[in-house]
Amino acid sequence: MAKMKEKVIAPEYIPEKGSHVLTIDKEKYLIVNDAMYTFYQRSKGEFSPFFLGIRDDKKILGCKCTKCGLVRCPPFLTHCPDCNFAPTKIVEVGQVGKMLSTPPITYFANSLFLKMAPYGRGRVVLQGADTALSVNVYTTTGILAPGIIKKGTEVKVVFRDERNGEISDIFCVPTKELTKAQVAKKGLLASQINWEGAVEPDLKKPTAADKAAYGKALKEIKSVIKLMNQTERARKDIAGWKRDIKVKTTGGEFAIIINNGDIKLEEKKLTKPDFVVVARDPKVLADGLAYRGAITDSIIMKRLWISKNIEFTTIFKLDRMARSVARSKK
Amino acid sequence: MSKRVGIVGAAVTPFKAKWNEKTYYELAQMATREVVKDAKISIKDVDSVFYAIYNDIFERTCIPEHPLQGLIGMQDKFGMRVSTGGATGAYTISAAHAYLAAGRFKTALVLGVEKCTDCFDFLSMSATPEVIKTIGWSGDSFFEQQLGWTAADSYAEVVLAYMDEHPKDLKPQVTAKISSLLSQYVKNNKFAQRQHDQVTPQEVMNSRLIVYPFKELEICVYTEGAAALILAEEDTAKAISKNTGKPVIWITGLGEANEHSFAGKKQKVMPRIMSDYLASHRAYKMAGIKNPMKSIDIVELHDAFVHQLEITMSEFDLVPRGNADALIDDGLMLPGGEYLVNPCGGLIYCGHAVGASNVMSAWSARNELIKRKKKTALVHGTGSTIAQYTAVCILEHD
Ligand SMILES: [Zn+2]
Repeated sequence: MAKMKEKVIAPEYIPEKGSHVLTIDKEKYLIVNDAMYTFYQRSKGEFSPFFLGIRDDKKILGCKCTKCGLVRCPPFLTHCPDCNFAPTKIVEVGQVGKMLSTPPITYFANSLFLKMAPYGRGRVVLQGADTALSVNVYTTTGILAPGIIKKGTEVKVVFRDERNGEISDIFCVPTKELTKAQVAKKGLLASQINWEGAVEPDLKKPTAADKAAYGKALKEIKSVIKLMNQTERARKDIAGWKRDIKVKTTGGEFAIIINNGDIKLEEKKLTKPDFVVVARDPKVLADGLAYRGAITDSIIMKRLWISKNIEFTTIFKLDRMARSVARSKK
Repeated sequence: MSKRVGIVGAAVTPFKAKWNEKTYYELAQMATREVVKDAKISIKDVDSVFYAIYNDIFERTCIPEHPLQGLIGMQDKFGMRVSTGGATGAYTISAAHAYLAAGRFKTALVLGVEKCTDCFDFLSMSATPEVIKTIGWSGDSFFEQQLGWTAADSYAEVVLAYMDEHPKDLKPQVTAKISSLLSQYVKNNKFAQRQHDQVTPQEVMNSRLIVYPFKELEICVYTEGAAALILAEEDTAKAISKNTGKPVIWITGLGEANEHSFAGKKQKVMPRIMSDYLASHRAYKMAGIKNPMKSIDIVELHDAFVHQLEITMSEFDLVPRGNADALIDDGLMLPGGEYLVNPCGGLIYCGHAVGASNVMSAWSARNELIKRKKKTALVHGTGSTIAQYTAVCILEHD
């Protein structure tokens, strides 16, 4: 994630100076753009060997208590509080381990981690260690869905090609998604893994029933999208947003065009969409847009497929619009 | 022998998603004005103030309590802030109790305030992502923050570890029913952020996953507001009570525990919330409660997430561990059941104004004990990474 030439705060996060007035019950209130910021030259102190090990040697270090022998990874202390503060010594631990428990998956991240989502964060007990290291977990098979990585799943530490001496320089993937040689390799790099494993699902040749289902779903989707476009609350959800979405289903294909508050359906095949949605069963999408279950959930549960992880944000906005329409009806 | 301490006044400001009309100075003073009115005393009669404020960044000020001292009328008196994550409010009550029980002061103001949605994310043009980011600075800065640590994903770690051990518990239908039930309770709380936001179990089930396994309608909402209590030692409490005509609600038990922030052998036991277990059982011991299932009538529980509410109830020994779904399946927390849980709507519906939240819970517990003429209530606060911190207070009606 962290690239060397980046600013510590990305420019797009920084608002312009400014203020505006908000009127509530005829009283005026002044709202001012503001920030609270502090820069650091922060020493990693006693953790320096651990972070240098990651950055320079592609090694994972822990610390072993000279008395009880407990191996802690990360080596977050120099003396063992369980043994009257007996000293610990730095040891190298393995780069394969098992998940201590099932890791959570964050689908809706804050702005700092938007590009990373959906992401898993869990704790791995590496071979030779007794305690767990917090790590991001990824799959090479597309969107990280529940069930891919669980308690006890064997995972491998992978090093990012560009490293800055930070905990985000490493992450884990299930060993079963790697070759034997990759699992055995010490200091496996992200670029040495095939990330193109996620392929667009094939759609079978449509039957008459598929075409009928498509016709029915399309009719509903059209009317829902029309309603969204007429609902002020829903329009607000896509203010400033622009996306051309190609939607492929077994029975047929169409486009959803989002343009700064406007949303419309067009019965055409986009050649340069921002991203692709594949819905084997178009009803799944119709349900989501009509607020009968979240579209994001359908992606998570693999009923829907999207071509770009990062477009989860757009799907999230569609869910929001479905809710806004439902709320406006209330 | 330490002195008995009781609650003789309580107040909250409205809990709102955003208070553009007021700063945290005014919210703090509002709660103070209301609480001295409730106790029918003058602020001049209050010896000490204990501030419950969680996060400096929310208030955009380090030592955010310093401007409050003078404007709440506590100039030249004792003032101390407590900050222990989500458990801030409950820990603050505990701290105030200790000073009064030791005889240092006769009266104390417990004042919780938080102004979290001034934080604003200019990319999405909304507050929530920035609020989550701000709380994200609470994660371990060497080993976790950069991995996208959030309050939700760290609590989800504990919940999923519990589900690893008890895969048949915390059924989605049950968590949905609990959320729906709380949304019914909140109708009676005119100070709540979501007083009119009633949802069906189906709507909860259909709400989107935010952090697996938490759905949007199973998560507390961020709120701005303040809450305050007046605590007094026995003689003073009785005198105030005589004047107000309201009974003293005695603080008979307190317990606190902070777990390890790292997990694995000899450290945090992921499938448990040991802090909840230890804190509640320490509080039971102090209050002389042998059988909590029999003794506890009302629970005001810090429900950051519905799943955690269920696990926490099991750590309190109010429902079997591994079968927390009995809360609904066996009707334990349904109307007419063993316990009344979160009659204020909890943090999911009343709102989570972090430092003020547990103080609001104590306000609600006191109201309910008096209104329903019940004997014993439990007030709870949980906080920090992987549900590390807990403080529990036992409140008893005379
Ligand atoms: Zn040791």
